Amino acid sequence: MKKILSKIETPLNKNLDRIESFIHSHGKVNFLFGAIFEAFDGLLRSSKHTAQTQPFIRNNIDTKKFMGAVLIALVIGWVLPAMYFFGLQCVISRLIVSFGVGVFVVDVIWAIIAREDHISEGGFVSCLLVPAILPPQSPLWLVGLGAAMAIIFRNIMGGVGHNLVNPALFSRLFLTICFPSFLATGYQVPFVGIPDLHTLRYGLDTITHATPFSEFKAEGTITSYISLLLGTANGSLGETCRLALILTGIWLIKMKVANWRLPVSYFGSVFVFSGMFSLLSKSTTAPPMFHLLSGGLVLGAFFMITDPITTTYNQKAKWIYGIGCGFITVLLRNYTTLAEGAMYAILLMNLLAVPIQSFMIKIKYRT
Amino acid sequence: MIKKKQNRVFKGGVNLFDTYSIPFCNIFEEISSDLPPELFNLALPDKQSVKHIIATLCPTEPWALPNWVILGHKTTVFLDKIKEIKTSLFPEAKCSVVISNNETEHISAAKEYAVANEWMEVFAIEAKYPHDDPVVLSKAILNREVNFGQDTLSQGILILDAQTISAIHKSRVLNDNVDSRFIALSGTGLKENEFINVQLGTSVEKIIKNRMKESARCRVFVNGPLRGKEINDFTQRIDWTVNNIVVLEVQDTKVMFPMINTDRLHFTTNLLGDVRACVYCNFCDDICPVNLEPALYYHCYKRGEKQRARLYNLEKCIECGLCSFVCPSKIELLRIIKECK
Ligand code: SF4
Ligand code: SF4
Repeated sequence: MKKILSKIETPLNKNLDRIESFIHSHGKVNFLFGAIFEAFDGLLRSSKHTAQTQPFIRNNIDTKKFMGAVLIALVIGWVLPAMYFFGLQCVISRLIVSFGVGVFVVDVIWAIIAREDHISEGGFVSCLLVPAILPPQSPLWLVGLGAAMAIIFRNIMGGVGHNLVNPALFSRLFLTICFPSFLATGYQVPFVGIPDLHTLRYGLDTITHATPFSEFKAEGTITSYISLLLGTANGSLGETCRLALILTGIWLIKMKVANWRLPVSYFGSVFVFSGMFSLLSKSTTAPPMFHLLSGGLVLGAFFMITDPITTTYNQKAKWIYGIGCGFITVLLRNYTTLAEGAMYAILLMNLLAVPIQSFMIKIKYRT
Repeated sequence: MIKKKQNRVFKGGVNLFDTYSIPFCNIFEEISSDLPPELFNLALPDKQSVKHIIATLCPTEPWALPNWVILGHKTTVFLDKIKEIKTSLFPEAKCSVVISNNETEHISAAKEYAVANEWMEVFAIEAKYPHDDPVVLSKAILNREVNFGQDTLSQGILILDAQTISAIHKSRVLNDNVDSRFIALSGTGLKENEFINVQLGTSVEKIIKNRMKESARCRVFVNGPLRGKEINDFTQRIDWTVNNIVVLEVQDTKVMFPMINTDRLHFTTNLLGDVRACVYCNFCDDICPVNLEPALYYHCYKRGEKQRARLYNLEKCIECGLCSFVCPSKIELLRIIKECK
């Protein structure tokens, strides 16, 4: 691998240099393609900037590696299991649509219109999350629209680093309001067993079923915890195999990409509050373990509330943030007709993050 | 028991030896000055004002001069020097010896020594940058709050490194002349990493002239690339404060496939990433040795409210530069902090 790469290295480098100087010397070309070239170039080559002020050496971690770790975790956490449970074609087509529309069309057009000088890597994470929180049999245009909304919304807010709420969750909210029927159905039943040619491609594409939580609301039945954990119970495309999500989430925490305080406080508070509620009214509210393992809670706890931009910066405030998420999740799930409370709870807490942050800062520094 | 205490007291910091392992070859070349050499002449405070001596035998930067260059394997000989300095110059002072905890040989010898000498205390600490900073050390070892920029002597604390102790011993106790010191030379811009023994007053040019790689463009830093100064005027002369000289290659062209060609970028002045907006990743406040939240300053600075940044304990910052070092968005936090101050 290294040998092959080192052979093409020099000519490729020269050509890229040539293209770069061409783009920079022609104003109009730069206007149209400068950002696209930068993004492509950034994947292949390092930065050429050097440190001008103290300290003169820098750590070898940048936002690209940061996002790369999240992408790897997401691929192992939901893409691979989903390919098995719902079929290759189902997953791959959604990913292609999501990335095509989100990153390669909307982000590029935005970069041209808004004259951004670079295309942000954060779009990849959002576009990988959008299909994960939609039903497996949602139409492809819905996925495309969702990805487009996520990227447009994030860019309007000012790009990565300025988005107040998680763009993927925002686009899901948007889709739920506009197309409620598409989000309430299409929950394909996961395939279990040794796949043949058909199931390898499509999974069990004809059978759909209500999600465990809506089933609980309608009939009061509780799906077995083992099947929830392993992913054999149905749900949104990316949330079913909780075991893989938990393992990759722990890896992210170990890599220090995700902050451990958030998942811990989220899981802990969901467990405590749902336990309290189910003690108060046993028949109508779900038991704590069911809360933890159903719906998008695990996905949300490791990949959404840990999105560093939308949480509070202060570490103590993160506890409040996580506990707030847990409390609102339990409330929404137990006392509203919504089938899935975790996503809305996270969105709501995203908005509350700013006041929590400034409140904690006020306390800490007594200003 | 000692270890427990250390973990509670120290916060943040990073072990740079893992990232930058610098192999030194053990040649001690002597370089003499063109001018008549200057003499070591440290203005020592008077007897009564020193209550504590902290001997730091724990260099936390990999490019700094290691202890064995001064101490060799003769820990007790060195501790005897401290004893003689103490009895003849500062009879009332207590003494704390801080040793990096992977130098087990020194630690056990020093502990044995401390049993017989009750004025001495031994601390084994992890060699994490910047835990040998005067502010951090005084807080951790003596629980004294020293402000950044304030002389520790105003609190009666005298902090000395191994080489200075040897020099004081030679010049004040033995009344001999000290006119040279050891300096560690390292970096990607040099042919070899080595230790040299230079006379004080030698120009930087004379030291690095034949040692730099011919092909590379280099930048020269005195006392390390993290806290030290960049020098452009090579006629500058070496004085006692110069502990090491680091010469780094300038890597300002794009490198193909940075993931596999890491060696070409490692230990150069390259930013290793693009400048982006802050992503609130908490790397900077996790690593800060004095418990600050540098991203707050960045946000105040960006909104143009430099005054406001001072509300968030800005004056406590010891300017170690670790926050800029770790920031994945490559924000120059230290420059911002200095401007806000
Ligand atoms: S390390 Fe940089 S990107 Fe991360 S929170 Fe601090 S300033 Fe922001
Ligand atoms: S430079 Fe200041 S704020 Fe940054 S890590 Fe060091 S002490 Fe903390």
